Amino acid sequence: MPGKLTRLQWMLVLVGVLGTASALAKDPVVPSDELVFCTVCHGVQLMGNPIIRAPRLSGLSSWYVEKQLHAFQDGWRGVHEADLVGMEMQPMAAALTDEQIKLAAQFVAATDSPMPERTLAGDPSAGQALYATCSACHGNQAQGNEALGSPALAGLNDWYLREQLEKFMSGARGSHPADTTGQQMRAAMQVLGDETAIDDVVAYIATLGH
Amino acid sequence: MNKNLTRRQLLSMVGAAGGATAVYNTSLALGLMSDAGAPARLDLQHVPKGGARIIVLGAGIAGLTVAYELERVGYDVQIIEASKRVGGRNLTVRHGDVIDEMGHQQVCRFDDHPEMYFNAGPARIPGHHRRVMHYCKSLNVPLQVKANFSRPAYTHDTENFAGKPVRVQQYVADARGFLSELLYKAIDQNRFDEPLSADDRERLMHFASTFGDLQPDGSYKGSLRGGYDEGGFLSPAVQRAPLEFRALLNSSWWERGMLSAENPDWAAPLMEVVGGMDNIVKAFVRELKTRVILNAQVQDIRLKSDGVDVVYNHNGKRRKLSADYCFNSIPSHFMPAIPNNLPPDYQAGLAAMVPGNFFKIGLQMKKRFWEDEGIYGGATSTNQKINTIWYPSHGIHGEKGVLLGAYAFFGQCKFFERMNPAERLQFAADCGDKIHKNYSSYIEAGVSVPWGRMNHMMGCGTTWSEEVRNEYFALLQQPAGGRHYMIGDQISYHSSWQEGAFASAEYALLDFNRRVRADATRQGVR
Repeated sequence: MPGKLTRLQWMLVLVGVLGTASALAKDPVVPSDELVFCTVCHGVQLMGNPIIRAPRLSGLSSWYVEKQLHAFQDGWRGVHEADLVGMEMQPMAAALTDEQIKLAAQFVAATDSPMPERTLAGDPSAGQALYATCSACHGNQAQGNEALGSPALAGLNDWYLREQLEKFMSGARGSHPADTTGQQMRAAMQVLGDETAIDDVVAYIATLGH
Repeated sequence: MNKNLTRRQLLSMVGAAGGATAVYNTSLALGLMSDAGAPARLDLQHVPKGGARIIVLGAGIAGLTVAYELERVGYDVQIIEASKRVGGRNLTVRHGDVIDEMGHQQVCRFDDHPEMYFNAGPARIPGHHRRVMHYCKSLNVPLQVKANFSRPAYTHDTENFAGKPVRVQQYVADARGFLSELLYKAIDQNRFDEPLSADDRERLMHFASTFGDLQPDGSYKGSLRGGYDEGGFLSPAVQRAPLEFRALLNSSWWERGMLSAENPDWAAPLMEVVGGMDNIVKAFVRELKTRVILNAQVQDIRLKSDGVDVVYNHNGKRRKLSADYCFNSIPSHFMPAIPNNLPPDYQAGLAAMVPGNFFKIGLQMKKRFWEDEGIYGGATSTNQKINTIWYPSHGIHGEKGVLLGAYAFFGQCKFFERMNPAERLQFAADCGDKIHKNYSSYIEAGVSVPWGRMNHMMGCGTTWSEEVRNEYFALLQQPAGGRHYMIGDQISYHSSWQEGAFASAEYALLDFNRRVRADATRQGVR
């Protein structure tokens, strides 16, 4: 964020915050009081907050968010001893009712915010070749595929993607027997041999979805 | 000294050349005065009704101070607060209060009784925090003495002294005794590099002997300063046998806490607010004409050439406020997730600040058992993760009391944050049992307050690295575009202290006043 105005900021300067014309595809969502707490960490319109390691969630598919919130709640995400950030999220999800999880997922899907800035120095062209395997499930624009249980990756912070890939690699994520798609992802990590490969593929994903 | 200037002579020369301010600044430089003198007289410019409009973001101590001072001189002030309550980290927990920890909301089950309260945020006020004192005095907030460092309390070390608590007085007396004995013997054997005169040597040995309460032969055999084992009233006092020197050396309290009261912020006597620290907040709210808008989370901050626009959500609606000036106490770590057009270096500074963290547990005890052990207020220190048991200075000789059962700092907090509230209380109870007999059996109710997990907080103040401070502190003290001030204890050298919040508010108000007066002068000329 530092260094220059973000896209949202420029747009807002141009059209005015409460103007009828919105700079983003969607108008800002005003969350109900019970969902404001998502935004405390994940930021305005869930734009993400790198300082508290809370990723951008804006526009994530509701089916995926719902599934992950249940995963946190049911104890197959955010409980591994090496997943410290996940452990911070876990009690937040555990406190939600099924109905609130539905509403939270709808809220996430309805939000929009500027695409995150790149913070990592991977090589996108090297990443593009690696991504060919990933695209089978996650789609060639990283748009996700609900039928396969594969989430969209475009629009996630690069640092968050790297953290998750590292967790799949180490087993901090995708080890729980109930996490069937996570186990598939963990197996798929063989494609990404090392840290450089992870950075490269993440750098490529960051170019998608704009 | 005859040939050299004395400090007094130097000061009168500086005074003649530069006036009183130069003397004051020079005195500061020479360490003769503290900069925590009387709070600056604000002398704010009065404005006619309906004059400039002020938005204050955050209803903690800094925000309330700014609102109070500006309202008094005629400004139209609006305070926006994200959480459901006023006060920020000035939080006193009582019967029925909800502790708004994210993911673990708790309800306080203390008795509904005026003495059953717990200061989960600031809890002690040293006398040199002149701004806190100024507002307590001028807003009629009564204070009382609060014991902090306590000689009858304990120091406890699971690895030394057979894991048994040792009275602070004994530990301190023995530590001094051992050190003094070494000093005494070193002098006696003339092992100093610098030759001492016979008189010097005798005087130094006497000093060592007095400092450590040594025997005439310079040995340390324990001291009545360390407390009585028995007697002292109807029979001769029997002093405690000294601790074992090696155990004392191996123990960690001499580096963890023995000298804590040497820190001016923790030096006796400290003060506290009668009835709970939040009476300061209540006093401000009583004085304010404006009503704080609660549950109002800021969505956008837009700096303009002639003011600031703030968008916030409230009651399910998106609303906009325009003001001439904005005073912003939102924790720095939230700012990167709030769209704004503050200058890039300003944003970079906010993003570089690292949030601090504190964690406290408060326990209602059905019996004030510590008073039966001769402890009236003050703190016991342990090498267990709870760090501290702090006995209340209020409600003495009452039936029950609320004590602090754990106090963790910065990185230590995560350990507790990862537990649920019930697990935290159980952990604190188990630690307490190692210090006080039947400790856990006295616990009737408990609360835990992890500031790093509290709704709309997610941290406590700022831990400034020297590098980040050098680069950004002065910048962030200045108003962005002359219109947007960052305030709060985060913008001070006393983060996580109320005095830091007051000081930052004072700094911003003084700067604001200079600008307003300069504008008025310019307009007068025109």
